[in-house]
Amino acid sequence: MKTFHLPDLGEGLPDAEIVEWLVKEGDDLTLDQPMVSMETAKAVVEVPSPFTGKLVKCYGQAGDVIQTGAPLADFEVVGDTDEPPSKAVAPVDAKAPREDSGTVVGNVQAGNEVLQETLSVGQHKMTPAVRALAKKLKVDPAWCTPTGKNGVITAQDVKKAAESGVRPASAPPKTAPTKTSTSSVPSGQWEPIKGTRRTMARAMTESHQQVVPTTLMDDADIHAWSSDEDITARLIRALWVGAQAEPGLNAWFNGAEGQRLVHRSMHVGMAVDTPDGLMVAALKDVDKKDRQALRQDINRLRDNAINRSIPADELKDFTIVLSNFGKFAGRYATPVISPPCVAIVAAGKLRHEVVPVLGGIEAHRMMPISLTFDHRACTGGEAARFLQAMLADLASPT
Amino acid sequence: MAEITLIEGITLALARAMEEDPSVVVLGEDVGVNGGVFRATAGLQAKFGDQRVLDTPLAEVMIAGMSVGMAAQGMKPVAEAQFCGFTMPMIDHIMCHAGRMRNRTRGRLSCPMVLRFPSGGGIHAPEHHSESPEAIFGHMPGIRVVIPSSPGRAYGLLLAAIRDPDPVIFMEPKRIYRWQKEEVVDDGEELPLDVCFTLRDGSDITLVSWGAMIKETLAAADELAKRGIHAEVIDVATISPLDMDTIIESVQKTGRCVIIQEAPKHCGVASEIAAHLADAGLYSLLAPVKRVCGYDTVMPLYRNEMKYMPSVRRIMDAIEEVLEVS
Repeated sequence: MKTFHLPDLGEGLPDAEIVEWLVKEGDDLTLDQPMVSMETAKAVVEVPSPFTGKLVKCYGQAGDVIQTGAPLADFEVVGDTDEPPSKAVAPVDAKAPREDSGTVVGNVQAGNEVLQETLSVGQHKMTPAVRALAKKLKVDPAWCTPTGKNGVITAQDVKKAAESGVRPASAPPKTAPTKTSTSSVPSGQWEPIKGTRRTMARAMTESHQQVVPTTLMDDADIHAWSSDEDITARLIRALWVGAQAEPGLNAWFNGAEGQRLVHRSMHVGMAVDTPDGLMVAALKDVDKKDRQALRQDINRLRDNAINRSIPADELKDFTIVLSNFGKFAGRYATPVISPPCVAIVAAGKLRHEVVPVLGGIEAHRMMPISLTFDHRACTGGEAARFLQAMLADLASPT
Repeated sequence: MAEITLIEGITLALARAMEEDPSVVVLGEDVGVNGGVFRATAGLQAKFGDQRVLDTPLAEVMIAGMSVGMAAQGMKPVAEAQFCGFTMPMIDHIMCHAGRMRNRTRGRLSCPMVLRFPSGGGIHAPEHHSESPEAIFGHMPGIRVVIPSSPGRAYGLLLAAIRDPDPVIFMEPKRIYRWQKEEVVDDGEELPLDVCFTLRDGSDITLVSWGAMIKETLAAADELAKRGIHAEVIDVATISPLDMDTIIESVQKTGRCVIIQEAPKHCGVASEIAAHLADAGLYSLLAPVKRVCGYDTVMPLYRNEMKYMPSVRRIMDAIEEVLEVS
């Protein structure tokens, strides 16, 4: 027979109350089997069986208070009577030391993982603590001379920089570097860009940052044209023919919102070169105008552009852009899209080219066409079919 | 150098502070013979005697009041409350006396006391043992609120808190008391108060948290890293006064911010940070600021405890939302 005494279930608690016996007298118990539920001043604890054997006697019923160290249960232990008591419960002697769980309530998880805080990446290597110190002392890490292993800035380095009060002379000045570069230019003067040129710079930057441009280049065979054909008017008509084949190029695209607007009519933005910079002026509703009306519009727009008197509403809302740079020089180009438009067509310098024809060769007049499209908005196939329709229209005699 | 846990960092800092300054006194329920409910003061009474490590009666109002009085008269009391819920009766002394001593006496007296207590849930303790009341204390003028999240910061920030000439509420994230170990040099070096600690550098999103939630926040950052997304992780550390400069600088770089707090969302510190971002960081933001918080309920009993606390999954969901719109 073995008697099990109530161990100290908390930290120096004098007693505990029986909540419920989970087994009954006469039961065969195994080591560590839950036996009785006890409530201390802080928690309800399940006391496991300290032995493998038969439970002979329970001291007390639910609601009874048992003093720490007083008998709780008697056992008939199977086999060796010297079987050591379970480790799960402290020995009968309440005064004997037990392993400290580190809390009287609940269960604090313990881990053995060792924390190694990462160093700041970038120019200056330091731990979060040193970085916080630099922040607190208003020290720029650039002013510190690292003395730690592998060029790491230490807390001492930061303190030293803070104490010295001034940043080292070798540190680069914080003022804008443009001032110095202005004076070191060998000739000429820096000047601010203004007006149309400034608008152009901003629009080009925006386009470069947003658009995914792809350019297709081909030649329109205009051998069949009469000598006085209106090139610009024909190009505009060809744009509309292209858009009828592939409406997706006469469209606006909003990448941020993930939206696309395919236009039902066409306003062609004409790139106009002026001494002040590039302007794009809109020819409205080109799809509804005959050639004469179109020509009048083109002339008016060109005059207005040169006189700088384009009404503000003609500088916006174009749905596709046309550039006719070939009047001067240059065959093909990679023209830049003006968002939210998704396509721009540029015509290069006309030339004669030897063309194989049935029964021989001929010299034909050719017009180089470059089409840039925004690959976020259009597929290569759409662009190629648009170009194909344009070229076919341009090849027609009238 | 030894690898120690967060709670051992607390003990180490207390011992160091008591050694270097005889006016430092530790008091609280069971802090002496027993070594504290989580053993934060283990061994201190044996080393420094019962005149400097005082076992008090179970009377929180008295512990706080005594501390205010001792501090006003030139001592440096470090009081312990056993759990966050037990600080509520202390609030009158903390808010109306400790926080106002300097102002009320026109600078003649200060109140260099520290009130330490374990806070936060996740250890299967009852609900008034598991709260995160940093916003309550953060709302009190004149009170500094500090929460460490690593053994090194526990050591360095507690030293700074004890040496500080004004009252400091030092909240200890008990769930991570023994989670990790870190090499901490017991050299008496304090860490700076009133600044955030940037734990990870990143350019895509800023994750702001403090206390035990740093564990889940870092795990979320790890998951993002696997997808090639670089999160900047900021440990606020000092809740009040709040170092918004570090957070705003980071958001200027990343344009996105998710704030993770264990406390209920309503009127929390996360809301305060979000409000600052709406004020000074609006033009840098590419997406709405998200807060991942506990719910506006009483802390549930322990079967539902972990459902209440922000999980890595919930943090990732908020991050997804932010990344989707920007």
